[in-house]
Amino acid sequence: MYSISFRNVSKSFGKVKVIENLNLDIKKGERLILLGPSGCGKSTILRMISGLESITSGELYLNGRLANDIDSGDRNIAMVFQNYALYPHMTVSENVGYGLKINKVKKEERMQKVSEAIDILGLKSLENRYPRELSGGQRQRVALARAIVKKADFFLLDEPLSNLDAQLRGQARKELVKIHEMYNQTFVYVTHDQIEAMTIGQRIALLNKGHIQMLDTPHNVYHKPANIFVATFIGSPSMNVISACIEGRDIILGDEKVELPEIWLNQFASSKAKSVKLGVRPDNIILSNSPGKYSVPVTIRYVEDYGNRVGFYFNFGEEEVISIMSEEMFSRGEKVYWNIDPAKLHFFDAETTNNIGYPQGL
Amino acid sequence: MLRKGYIMKIKYNKEIKWHIVFIIIILILLYPILYALSTSFKSLNEAYNNILSLIPEKPTTSAYKRVLSIIPFARITLNTFIIASVVTLFKLFTSILAAYSFVFFDFKGKKVLYFILISTIFIPFTVTMIPNYITVSRLGLKDNILGVALPQLADATGIFLLRQHMRGIPKSLLEVAKLEKTPQITILRTIVVPIIRPAILSIGIIFFINSWNEYVWPSLILKSTDNYTLSLALQMFVSSEGGTDIPVAMAISVLTMMLPLVLYAICQKYIINTFAQSGIKG
Amino acid sequence: MAKKASFKKYIRKLNQSKREHLLAWTFILPAIAVFIVFMFWPLAYTFYLSFFKWNMVAPTKKYVGIKNYISILTDKVTLQLFSNSLLYISILVLLNFVIPYILSFINTFVMKKKSKSIYKIFIFMPSLISLVVGAIILQWIFNPISGPISAILSFFGITMPSWSKTHGLVIFVISLVATYKAFGYNFLVLLAGVGNVSTELIEAARLDKTPNHKIFLKIVRPLTSSSAIYILIMSIVQGMQYVFTPIKVLTQGGPDNASSNIIYGGYQEAFGFYDTGRSSALSIITMVIFLILLFLEFKFVEKGVYYEN
Repeated sequence: MYSISFRNVSKSFGKVKVIENLNLDIKKGERLILLGPSGCGKSTILRMISGLESITSGELYLNGRLANDIDSGDRNIAMVFQNYALYPHMTVSENVGYGLKINKVKKEERMQKVSEAIDILGLKSLENRYPRELSGGQRQRVALARAIVKKADFFLLDEPLSNLDAQLRGQARKELVKIHEMYNQTFVYVTHDQIEAMTIGQRIALLNKGHIQMLDTPHNVYHKPANIFVATFIGSPSMNVISACIEGRDIILGDEKVELPEIWLNQFASSKAKSVKLGVRPDNIILSNSPGKYSVPVTIRYVEDYGNRVGFYFNFGEEEVISIMSEEMFSRGEKVYWNIDPAKLHFFDAETTNNIGYPQGL
Repeated sequence: MLRKGYIMKIKYNKEIKWHIVFIIIILILLYPILYALSTSFKSLNEAYNNILSLIPEKPTTSAYKRVLSIIPFARITLNTFIIASVVTLFKLFTSILAAYSFVFFDFKGKKVLYFILISTIFIPFTVTMIPNYITVSRLGLKDNILGVALPQLADATGIFLLRQHMRGIPKSLLEVAKLEKTPQITILRTIVVPIIRPAILSIGIIFFINSWNEYVWPSLILKSTDNYTLSLALQMFVSSEGGTDIPVAMAISVLTMMLPLVLYAICQKYIINTFAQSGIKG
Repeated sequence: MAKKASFKKYIRKLNQSKREHLLAWTFILPAIAVFIVFMFWPLAYTFYLSFFKWNMVAPTKKYVGIKNYISILTDKVTLQLFSNSLLYISILVLLNFVIPYILSFINTFVMKKKSKSIYKIFIFMPSLISLVVGAIILQWIFNPISGPISAILSFFGITMPSWSKTHGLVIFVISLVATYKAFGYNFLVLLAGVGNVSTELIEAARLDKTPNHKIFLKIVRPLTSSSAIYILIMSIVQGMQYVFTPIKVLTQGGPDNASSNIIYGGYQEAFGFYDTGRSSALSIITMVIFLILLFLEFKFVEKGVYYEN
């Protein structure tokens, strides 16, 4: 069952179209990530779900009901903001209980619910503190407590972890998943951080310039990127994308020609791509002194030591490629071989940027 | 420690001269207050003969006693207080609501309307005095302190200042409340007002002091001494020639400036911050 | 009863945005109502009155077209009012704009010791004092016979002129009363504006050995233009109204209109001579002058704000 559905939704701010013809279905109880670079529209989508942003055209359905004109307050939504939005003049308890108080929940019931939320988020003993007396991590948890206290249908989070120190983020990610597993609300989570997306999300909607580039599980988004944007956005360091020419049974990379793996030949035949680009992740490029079955000779131009891993830069023509391996085996200027693993390749239609697919049995 | 500081004085030579300039300016600015204070405690005789001394040789409260016998001082102070309180409360009320609307609502013509409201600051009182006088008369409020308060129930500067302060509140705070179905008026009451409370207080104090000091409009409306405000009562002791009771004039001046100066002494930091912001547009 | 129920239904049917519109206007309504009744309608009515002859009491008004305007503009007294006003403005701008502006620059960027921040606390004090109080106290201080200034001058063998009877000098002393009120406030606002200029810019200029007056004119002045223009215009607009009180209390425009200005003149016509027509005409002319200043301010301030943003 879909609890949130966008049907041909567009959003413009004045003359600027930010979201165009969005179609998105979010399953009830799932954790969906809206991921993308700044300005891609992910926060706008979140705000349209909450009603804080109006919809220019198209329909939004919440739990099957047309929701375009339903007041934010009637949509049964809890939201956590990037800056936590805690009321500075209220204590932690008062912050958490504010919504309940406004909706005239009886004092006893309210106190009990507040206390429960405070316990779950590990905020006991801080009930009477003010936000200015709390650390960043504590404030974030107060924002979460306030959001879970009303047991809403929908739980929207707008970059809730980006203001936390890196160390706290790991802990916070786990807590968020734990909370979701407790209440099983529909989680819609906005972030620009792919690690958060991959670790928290059950499905990821990757957005660019107001359009969904790919909507799938983290595994598929990583291993089977739908287009070049997805391929280069996910994964750090980014996937190498190299221009390639298919000539008969060979593939030409820069000045080098290498035999194309058999299984890929059929894939090219069935795809209609006139020209392609080859994508391969840096840690999937194995360099060796001795050539293997599908080998390309390369000259190492530059070596970067990251401590636990080493990066080797080489070129095909003008395009720079990086291989990341665990040991420093080669030095600058050295001529080595890239032993291509056909199972780790991705090909994209150079015109449409879409993935041409993967052969069966890979 | 202090010794070392003074040796360094050679480096600060240039700066010292500016400090002296400022101190001189402050002495010039404060002298009239001190003059009034000291003269109010002089006898009539001493006021005319011991002009330059800031400390009375024979301090006396006789001037103050004379003030209390000539005018109904308590009543006049009460009038002033009532007018200032009514004006302050209404100005705050209308300004808080209007500022909230300008900051947190979006509506057509908002910019134009704001511009029009702010432009009222530039309307000289001569343009509105006749019609307002007629309005107040027709309402039967001539020579009535409510007639003084009535035209002053809103203030464009108040709207401007409160708007500046409200803009500092992150919109996300209100959005959280909106998701809880909080009505706007409740958001104003439980979130916005408590957050900007210091600003409201200092703006309120400024409204109060301005009304307390007001002269022009009360002078048009109030006619009988019993209804006077302190500014009007003070005017009774002016003569264009001189040769009247200086200590009494100074005594009532001191009494009038007491309240603003005391309020200032208490909330000086807030008042200064609020005023300092009023010139920063945008 | 039925009306109320159907009204509520109407409100509920309106969507969120339309309801917000309605609420927005409701919040502004109290302020607008006051402004309409006591600012905008009077403005219009005064404009209307400027075409009539009426003494505020008579039941009928006599339509006279633009006679009032012509009468005002050809009156010799009006000429004097305008020239007085120009003199007032010059003094007020010098004392209440130029000097506080320079002083705020000095206090912020030339002085370094921490004690400099205490001065503004005292400088602001006189601004809290009523103009009437200021007028009376200054009247005594400048009293040519029994005032302290006269006493000091007599030490040097100078007899103090009777300023309230001297053309020019009377305008100067009245301006001092207005200055007493406006100086501290203006200084504070300018200080805040100057304080917003980043120290790095000044330090960079210092490294280039730029003299202070150049730093002020080329760096600080353009960057503080919005506060400065505001105070400049306020010195004029507010200053001209501030001097009304000392004029009314101390000189009543005299001697022979030597201390009157276009504001006091307007008042006199209405409440002294009961000629609402001429008073209104003069007020409208004053208003137009102020509006031109307002237009100039928005033109410059908008520019300044845009760049600052």
